[in-house]
Amino acid sequence: MPHKGQDHKKIAKIKRGTLLISLILLLFVTTFMAVVLGAASIPLKSALAILLPPFTGLDGLFKGVEITEVQRGIILQLRLPRVMQAAIVGASLAVAGAVFQGLFRNPMADPYVIGVSSGAALGAVVAMLTGGTLFFAGFTAVPLFAFIGGVLTITLVYYMSRVGKVVPVMTLLLAGIAVSAFLSAVVSLLTYFAGEKLDQVVFWMMGGVGGASWARVTAMLPYVIVGFCCIYYYAKELNVLLLGEETARHLGVNTERVKKILLAAASLLVAAAVSTSGIIGFVGLVVPHFIRMLVGPDHRILLPASSLLGANLLIAADTLARNIIAPAELPVGIITAMVGAPMFIYLLKKRKKLRYFNTR
Amino acid sequence: MSLNLRVHGLSIGYDSLPILDDMNFNLQGGEMVALLGPNGAGKSTLLRCISKALEPIKGTVFFNGREAGSLSAAEIARQLAVVPQDTGVDFDFTVEEVIQMGRFPYDKGSRKNKTNNESIVNSAMEITGIFSLRHRSAATLSGGERQRMVFARALCQEPELLLLDEPTANLDIGYQWELLDIVLRLNREKRVTVIAAIHDLNLATLFFRQFILLAGGKVLASGSAEEVLTEENILASYGVQASIFRHPLHGRLQVSVGKDSMSSMQKKVRDGEKRVHVIGGGQEALSVLEALWEKGYSLSLGPVSREDSGYHFAHFFDIPVIENPPFSSISDEMCKEHLKLMQESKWIVLPPISFGEENLRNLETMAEAMAQGIPGIVFGEQAEERDFTVGKAASFLERLKGQGAFFVNDSEEALACMKNNEIHKKTD
Repeated sequence: MPHKGQDHKKIAKIKRGTLLISLILLLFVTTFMAVVLGAASIPLKSALAILLPPFTGLDGLFKGVEITEVQRGIILQLRLPRVMQAAIVGASLAVAGAVFQGLFRNPMADPYVIGVSSGAALGAVVAMLTGGTLFFAGFTAVPLFAFIGGVLTITLVYYMSRVGKVVPVMTLLLAGIAVSAFLSAVVSLLTYFAGEKLDQVVFWMMGGVGGASWARVTAMLPYVIVGFCCIYYYAKELNVLLLGEETARHLGVNTERVKKILLAAASLLVAAAVSTSGIIGFVGLVVPHFIRMLVGPDHRILLPASSLLGANLLIAADTLARNIIAPAELPVGIITAMVGAPMFIYLLKKRKKLRYFNTR
Repeated sequence: MSLNLRVHGLSIGYDSLPILDDMNFNLQGGEMVALLGPNGAGKSTLLRCISKALEPIKGTVFFNGREAGSLSAAEIARQLAVVPQDTGVDFDFTVEEVIQMGRFPYDKGSRKNKTNNESIVNSAMEITGIFSLRHRSAATLSGGERQRMVFARALCQEPELLLLDEPTANLDIGYQWELLDIVLRLNREKRVTVIAAIHDLNLATLFFRQFILLAGGKVLASGSAEEVLTEENILASYGVQASIFRHPLHGRLQVSVGKDSMSSMQKKVRDGEKRVHVIGGGQEALSVLEALWEKGYSLSLGPVSREDSGYHFAHFFDIPVIENPPFSSISDEMCKEHLKLMQESKWIVLPPISFGEENLRNLETMAEAMAQGIPGIVFGEQAEERDFTVGKAASFLERLKGQGAFFVNDSEEALACMKNNEIHKKTD
């Protein structure tokens, strides 16, 4: 009998490994596709020659290929940072979604559920309307204000939902929804008076990774890396928290501290994503569910796999957004919602296999 | 592996409304205590407070003399495990994954006991009989299986103090027994201190030697079964009349409740005019008495000794009974009394009791009453095997047959016989 148990474990391990490796390979493919495809058509060979740096020793293959400085600029300064930003934002949203769903033990939770997005939106709209051209740590005024708005909101929600010394997740969820609704109303009010800046505001809120630059990518990166590391460190705690807060405490999880850290880390990811790319829906909702269906709820695999799939998904969606009505662009939020919503409904229909909240 | 627990001045409540007020008790390491009390008495609340799931309003819990508040969650989880009341499972971990989480308090610190983990998890699954289910999704388990899974997880924590909140509520009697047996073994072999909130008092007296009875936010009584399980305490805490007696098989105290409601309810529908007199006692008579009582007949009984189960039955339901002093034969006076009871009855029933020299006079009295026109029913099955009078009883039975007694094989036949003859009489 123990032999059979070993087999079971081995199979699970192989399954997890295969998933991660194929998602990484897929990431290379989507990245390459995204860099090659675009309004300005660049031959495949030129693109390869630009992307594969000389030190790989492969430059010999592309000797005859002509590369213009414009092509180099488009690929290295426009498309590549854009793909990077899409990957980072997609991964952040997916991981934050997984964390919120686990923390709230609620399959409907998404990265925006506790009001981070509305707070960030308010910050962004304020920045746009005041027309500030502030620069700080690589952020222009809009991302900076959005980031501050998001972080302030989650802090407010957290302290609002305190009951005595503890913060019950249900209260947190409800407070988040209430604050979110209020801030959305304020955003709508401001939008109403936006005047000639209405286009800019609306376009930002639809979400998109346009205007990406290496500076922005490198500015986001530290926040995102810190957020990811914190969250992954507590992957096991997240598993135990799925059994319920009280059980988690009985099993030795310092629930209040872990909740606070996870909440802060996930909010950091969301704030970074929203501040640079606006509100992009459904990535954080659908991706973790999809991974759960494949490998179960264990956060040790769910978190990295979700981040990879989220990155893939947003790169692909952004490529579509750039190319579908080229040379114009669609906001990527529209693509993710149009793909994500039907997919989510499909998942709901297959609820029995949702590997999460089984209705008893 | 045992832990001293001290609860000092503990007041606990929700929304500052105290549920438990100024609780004080000490538990020596290796003790095994059943926590009793009615619904809402605060059993779960007390356990939750000991496990630090709930902050007390005031007071302190000490583990081995150390204040619980000064210990980290992981430190506590290495000493104390909780098996809560059944909680729903709404995630899709496998049973094994859930049980492995019992090792969580040991995982974070050092990596070296990783290999140890697997054998601990496996043995916990084997002890609780859930090994074969280990690859199933926890969400698909039945209530009993889930309870055993949670218990296995608690075992993985290698606790020195085990808190059980209604651990047997969802289990069938087989698993109830098995689970409490495991608890008992843990307590005896590893000196694990155990506190279990438990509703089934009779199950509690089988496995526990010490009791704490909660009522009205206080400890109403604590100590041995004899000290705690008294009729007054049961009435004061649970609000029901109870009869306390020793179990005839294992001698532990048993609590039987509902005497009032049972007897008063059944008195109303009982027709005093249609009384049936049952001769003799013992287990054989008891089944006949129960069947007649259930059908609404009023009864009288005799003669039986004080230790007889028939006597307890008569006492419980306030039925007229002739008491026969132990180890003595039936006196003339008793015979007279017996005859009087028979004369007042509509029927005389002779259950399948054994016959000895001592109780032959009862048969004689029955014959006398039948001669006066009271109909009799005799359970005739295997009469020879019950006859310890070298045939004397047999001749009495022959005589009763001659007097027109109905011979039946079981209670059902007896009831049918009584019913048929009533109808017959009415049509006369």
